Amino acid sequence: MPPTEPVLAAREVTRRFGHRRVLSGVSLELKPGDALLLVGPNGAGKTTLLRVLAGLLRASAGRIERRGRVGMVGHASMLYDALTARENLRFFARLHGERSRGRVDQLLERMGLSARADERVGAFSRGMTQRLAIARALLPDPDILLLDEPLTGLDDASSEQVLAVLGELRARGRALMIASHQLAELMGVVTAIGFLTHGELRAVEPTAGRDVAAITARYREVTRRA
Amino acid sequence: MRDALRAAWAIAGKDLAIEWRTKTALVSSVAFAVLVLAVLYFARDPTAVGAVDVAPGALWVTFTFAAMIGLNRAFLLERENQAMDGIRLAPVSPQAVFFGKLAANLVFVGTVELVSLPLFILFYDVPIVRGLPALLGITAMATVAFVAVGTLLSSMVVRTRFAELMLPLLLLPFLVPPVVGAVQATARILADRPLSEVQGWLKLLAAFDIVFVTISTFLFEATLEE
Repeated sequence: MPPTEPVLAAREVTRRFGHRRVLSGVSLELKPGDALLLVGPNGAGKTTLLRVLAGLLRASAGRIERRGRVGMVGHASMLYDALTARENLRFFARLHGERSRGRVDQLLERMGLSARADERVGAFSRGMTQRLAIARALLPDPDILLLDEPLTGLDDASSEQVLAVLGELRARGRALMIASHQLAELMGVVTAIGFLTHGELRAVEPTAGRDVAAITARYREVTRRA
Repeated sequence: MRDALRAAWAIAGKDLAIEWRTKTALVSSVAFAVLVLAVLYFARDPTAVGAVDVAPGALWVTFTFAAMIGLNRAFLLERENQAMDGIRLAPVSPQAVFFGKLAANLVFVGTVELVSLPLFILFYDVPIVRGLPALLGITAMATVAFVAVGTLLSSMVVRTRFAELMLPLLLLPFLVPPVVGAVQATARILADRPLSEVQGWLKLLAAFDIVFVTISTFLFEATLEE
């Protein structure tokens, strides 16, 4: 695949829940190495967009093109509290196939969870659970990683660890899409920012050469206009 | 095909490992079964009604309602932390997920039945030795039918607010045909009637198995979508 070819493209994607239109004609592209931060007020449709892009929800209209494996870290951990960290990863690795099975110990190590790998997830802190959820999402070595509020509830040390992993993934040419309100923390990782309000993607702009204050001002301008 | 079987095996293994560890549904189901068998036994006036007349109904009421406790639990596991999303993100067919859940539910319900059966023999003192293989066959056939529909409906209602109430309401009408067949066949076995009298009911149970498993397999995918 040429490096400029998008790994993920949404064309005029609309999603309705009954009569309520949650996404309206959203179009975007993600290329390898892109890291798009999706911002917008609560209820703007960020989670729905990520779920549609991941294939967990069907688009009511429009088209999604995925070229590669997709991983997703959602609001919930998608893990079983009664299983240990290692058992959780082994289970999901079995579903993802042979290649993922060898990555379990490596990912536990990478996320700093080796020492607690045989403890039940139900006893984990929010930070540990989130790191394990990221490890689960990375099992198939995804080309596209979608993350919904990945830093929420994490302390500084856990946030730094997650940010380091995201930075490393982007450097390895993985495409990232992150829905978050934590602009300042994610500025070092993302390459572009998308403004989503009322289910419409108002603009996608590069972050290079802009600071948090400039982007925040732009965000206010876009949300006010909407 | 091999991948689908491997995924189904992994899902069944995971469900049973969680149940074995927590024992929440198993303990409730077995306790319920013991209670129902005892209550129905002591409610009978032995001078007016023979044990063999009451036993088939008592057995199938016990099996059916005890199984429902386990079927309710089957997808609550997946609702916790939205773990089903993690499964759906893996390259696994909905049919493989269904067969994994079905296999785990069959093992669970089978275990409850195997624990209840000696208690049933003890309470009702029925002449079972000769008819035991036939009774086990009837039990297996009826169980496959109602667990298949139960697995489908459990997946359907799990996202509703009153899942534990909805499942019995939806499931009971579907249970009537296989349970009536099982009660009729069991009554003839316990009355030491020739096997030829049971054959018609066995054919009916086999037909229910084929129809219920086939329909549930095809409809399952729709229950996973929001």
